[in-house]
Amino acid sequence: MPIAPRPRLEWQPVRVRDIMVETLRVKSLLLHAPGWQGHLPGQHVDIRLTAEDGYQAQRSYSIASPPEDDLLALTVEKVDSGEVSPYLVEDLRVGDVFELRGPIGGYFVWTVATPGPLWLIAGGSGIAPLMAMLRHRARRKVRNPALLLYSSRSLEDVIYREELDGMARVDADLRVVHTLTRKQPKGWTGHRRRIDRELLAEASFSPEQSPRIFVCGPTSLVEAASGLLVELGHDPLTIKTERFGPSGWMP
Amino acid sequence: MDETPISRGFRSKRQGQTPKGRLPPGQYVTADFPILSAGPTPQTKLESWTLALELGGSLAGKWSWAEFEALPQTTINTDIHCVTKWSKLGTSWQGVTFDDLLRAAGLAEPPEPYVMAHCDGGYTTNVPVEDLVDGKGMIATRYAGLPIPPAHGGPARLLVPHLYFWKSAKWVRRLRFMEQDERGFWESLGYHNYGDPWKEQRYDGD
Amino acid sequence: MDAMTGNELDCVLDGNAAAGLLQQIFVLEITAAQIECDACGFGGAVGSLPLYAAPMGAVLRCPHCEATLMRAIQTPRGRWLEMKGTRCLRF
Repeated sequence: MPIAPRPRLEWQPVRVRDIMVETLRVKSLLLHAPGWQGHLPGQHVDIRLTAEDGYQAQRSYSIASPPEDDLLALTVEKVDSGEVSPYLVEDLRVGDVFELRGPIGGYFVWTVATPGPLWLIAGGSGIAPLMAMLRHRARRKVRNPALLLYSSRSLEDVIYREELDGMARVDADLRVVHTLTRKQPKGWTGHRRRIDRELLAEASFSPEQSPRIFVCGPTSLVEAASGLLVELGHDPLTIKTERFGPSGWMP
Repeated sequence: MDETPISRGFRSKRQGQTPKGRLPPGQYVTADFPILSAGPTPQTKLESWTLALELGGSLAGKWSWAEFEALPQTTINTDIHCVTKWSKLGTSWQGVTFDDLLRAAGLAEPPEPYVMAHCDGGYTTNVPVEDLVDGKGMIATRYAGLPIPPAHGGPARLLVPHLYFWKSAKWVRRLRFMEQDERGFWESLGYHNYGDPWKEQRYDGD
Repeated sequence: MDAMTGNELDCVLDGNAAAGLLQQIFVLEITAAQIECDACGFGGAVGSLPLYAAPMGAVLRCPHCEATLMRAIQTPRGRWLEMKGTRCLRF
């Protein structure tokens, strides 16, 4: 498949159009990026903040919005000891401006042009690029089977919870399976442990179904899950991984 | 084109209350100990660990772990500065100074002006001998009184705290004396050959 | 005296995280490109390679034999790229 040359990455100012509270520590920033050329679900951007004294900090965030949307969505989890995420989650206001460049990355991407089942495995804020894929799939009304296995610490920490519920309700071909690893609500009948072999074998596509598999989250989860997937017989070439550092992305 | 937009209200969190003159330019103090490695952590067993001094293609000295631990031990208290801008103040290290290593090898003085540190995993870094003698450099085996964990360079790492911390090579196994300076892993890829934090010598050309 | 903490596993990323730097060096899409290890012949996508040393630069290693395939850094005066360990790249 021929791959088109990409335009050089240039920093551009983007304006915050809306801020959505996802969980106690997570917000989604909806950004207007003038002249945005589009992106593929799974890609990310670099953002850059400049303080009045000229000090700059740069971080990477996955694009959580599908290419069909006008505004770019970045989903940011506040890391207490972080330098950038507390600013984005607590101080940023609608109307503020910062710099962004992208889209970046052509490996960890999926579009509806790819046939076959779609299997997404997410840990924590690793859901962001996978959400772009699911939103894209929903906008395009494609009905290939899709499965999201989503590991969170507690129900309160599940990002996009209502939206995912809603998607699964109206789409018989989409299945969303949660596992809550630290705290579960009363009466919780779902999974309550870290992703292991049994969990993967239960909520899964078989290797014969040849799913395209995307795993995103902390390195420990990604390594564990991809190792288990290979053990379960999946072709490593069908498994794509994206490791987040301890605070999302490393600079 | 417009100037770089200022992010309203954004401030660096990192400029804390550090006594002036204690921090090199561009650095901030951190309470934790970030890990940065150019490769996977080697898992070298102490039974097979050796440290060698190499001169002109032959061994000038070689110590097993037991022999190395029996050499004179020195504890130093020092600040360390990483080129990625974090600094830790008042860190405590114990090990064998380069001076004591030379003495143990029967070398009255360093035979060549430069040293290349070779490490498990293939990492290398070059240091002038001038920057290792007179207590300026050591092979460290303990941090804060405890054995250095593998991820932080254990069982033994080079410690040259007055230079950027990439010179304090983790998993050091061999010090090779060189007549001419040669560039190590980062120095040959655009980082500064010497790396003085007080002159902010981060990159080649600084 | 603080202990040496820090989860080392979290510091290993993959080629995706180097995409921002590499995309400024390569005209063609680099993370999707196939790379072949000169030491052992392993082949895979650049985006899937283990990535080390992320704050200092990008050190991409062979997941099979751990040889260094590619190193890149960004300095105020330009970017450096070294690919001694790569037999070839296919775009």
